[in-house]
Amino acid sequence: MKNIISIFTSLLIISNLQAGTIKIVTTTMDLRSIAEMVGGNKVSVQSIATGYQNPHFVDPKPSYIISLSNADLFVTVGLDLETGWSPQLLSSSRNAKIQKGSPGYVDASEGVGLLQVPSSLNRGEGDIHIYGNPHYWLDPLNGKVIARNIAEGLERVDPANKAYYEANLSAFFGKVDAKLKELEAKMAPYKGTKIIAYHNEWVYFERRFGLVIVDFMEPKPGIPPSPSQLVKVIREVKADKIKVIISSPYFTTSSSEVVSKETGVKVLSLATSAGAFPTVKNYFDVFDYDIEQLVNALK
Amino acid sequence: MAFAGTLFFKKETIPVNLIFIYKKIIPVILLFTAVLFSNEIIAQKKIDSTAIADSILQKKIEQQLLQSANQPMQPAQPAPQTTRSGISANPDIGVVADFRSSYLSSGKRNFDAYLDETEMSFQSVVDPYIRADFFVSFGRDPITHQYGASVEEGYLTTLALPAKLQLKVGKFREAFGKINPTHPHALPFIDLPNAIVNYFGEDEGLNDEGFSVSWLTPTKGFYQELVFQATSGAQASPTFFRGDNNRFVYLGHLKNFFTLSDNATLEFGLSGVTGPNDSSNVTNMAGVDLTYKWKPVQLNTYKSLTWQTELLYSNAKYSASKSSNSFGMYSFVESQVGKRTFLTGRYDYAQKPYDRSIVEQAFSLSLGWLATEFQKIEFEGKYTTVNVLPDFNQFWLRWIFVIGAHGAHQY
Repeated sequence: MKNIISIFTSLLIISNLQAGTIKIVTTTMDLRSIAEMVGGNKVSVQSIATGYQNPHFVDPKPSYIISLSNADLFVTVGLDLETGWSPQLLSSSRNAKIQKGSPGYVDASEGVGLLQVPSSLNRGEGDIHIYGNPHYWLDPLNGKVIARNIAEGLERVDPANKAYYEANLSAFFGKVDAKLKELEAKMAPYKGTKIIAYHNEWVYFERRFGLVIVDFMEPKPGIPPSPSQLVKVIREVKADKIKVIISSPYFTTSSSEVVSKETGVKVLSLATSAGAFPTVKNYFDVFDYDIEQLVNALK
Repeated sequence: MAFAGTLFFKKETIPVNLIFIYKKIIPVILLFTAVLFSNEIIAQKKIDSTAIADSILQKKIEQQLLQSANQPMQPAQPAPQTTRSGISANPDIGVVADFRSSYLSSGKRNFDAYLDETEMSFQSVVDPYIRADFFVSFGRDPITHQYGASVEEGYLTTLALPAKLQLKVGKFREAFGKINPTHPHALPFIDLPNAIVNYFGEDEGLNDEGFSVSWLTPTKGFYQELVFQATSGAQASPTFFRGDNNRFVYLGHLKNFFTLSDNATLEFGLSGVTGPNDSSNVTNMAGVDLTYKWKPVQLNTYKSLTWQTELLYSNAKYSASKSSNSFGMYSFVESQVGKRTFLTGRYDYAQKPYDRSIVEQAFSLSLGWLATEFQKIEFEGKYTTVNVLPDFNQFWLRWIFVIGAHGAHQY
């Protein structure tokens, strides 16, 4: 019995020891990128989803539980984006520090101005998000809200370095302001341009950069394109002289290509997350890449 | 009450094998409880000391407020467009229903159509320390064809035990292999493999009341989980049966999960279970499971392949002079041939647990179509040979849907 007590006492002491860096697990690569910028050299960050993966449909592999079981901070996009997989992983993590309501749990959406909040829920309308459209990180200004939430989380679990995180946060805000000014200038000539999107995940991006999404390839969110929807989109593309269909790396482009063959519209696979393509390494690269692709296509 | 009976009994009635639980396991559980509460006490002391230093804290807050007043304002964010909806303290509630029709080539009654099962789930975190999951099943008795309700599962799971331990208490599907812990509606075929039916039954499987302790072992490079479960055996299965004594069913499972690449994983599991049978003797079982999954991360909703195999061995003692060793296995390949279409081929081999000379073999093919993640229609055809019976065919059509919230199933 003495041996058992000493073994478990040792395990408890080890688990309570402060490691050198704050271990952060994020659900997506954008959160990881922002956490790295705010946390600097005080943190090590891992993302569960890759940048080229549909964040709605991540398989809850047991291997993710290992990272979560050792994490000091867990950062989630929230708004039920990860509802199909992250609650199960959190429950299995055996880590009280990062459970919802604990200091190490960060809902990055807190304080975001939400769009498309439904007044009623009916799955007959497809995959409707009950709290509003969760793809809010695609507006760089919402990146500031995310960064603020992450900084507050870091300051809760590592208050000794509060000044360091606040300094990084200010630097991040400055970068966002500069980047936004640059990108809005590039997109200014195309304000009001009508486009088609594959899935309803661009509403924050559309609003920030002055685009107008007139329709989606999916007839309803999450429902694959039907022949009648393709016919409808082809008519809209011709009628409105639409030049671009935007999609994401995790959707096949076969149906968009059909519309392209009929109308000549360009099909662009844009980055929805850091790591979506080899050149898109961080959160700012997402917007650089997407705006460059759009400007080239709309010229 | 049945579960309470497994924990609270007079010490003089405890058999020798249960004294081990008293002397070894219960002290360990008490130790963990003490550690858990000691953390709370430490936290409480910290709060008390903070309260003493209240005036110092007040000064610091005032200083920081003064400093923040001199700092530039945070960049303005867009005002929320609308308030959040759906805030509720209710548990997540979901309903999964399963309509079936079936054909059996032997016997007089060949065709059937029925609502096989309606499962209602209630799932929620209770407090910062535990969560609760309850699944109430309304189903048709396969013998009497009468509908009835039962608690399919109902358990509490700890969220905050130290040393990467997790305790589950209640009624649950036991962690033997891969098929038994899985709810039938999440399987890629309609029937259960013959070996699983022979050993654990075709209704609820090995599903009982008791407790389960799992430990996430400190391995590096792969996931390993060790599970120990003790259940009352009150839920009779073809293999285990609760008699008039204090013999329980004890189960161990070792799960090893390897990430081969971003797109491929391999799981290897070992299971062992021992418990009383219906002749008041003991049955021991061992199992090995192997699962390979390929699912490209980028297009994981379009393509996937799963190969899963389970081997089961049983040694059942029926009397001092009579015992039976038997073997069973299944192997299936599930291929996602389109975004919404799945094709599964399965082979079954099963000896009867009470007489290994009776051998069943079966080949089945299932086609599943998922309209969305909330609805699927499946068709299965199965050809069975039994060495003491004529061959026969079976066909099933199943339509499953889910409304409300339903948590993710294990990977």
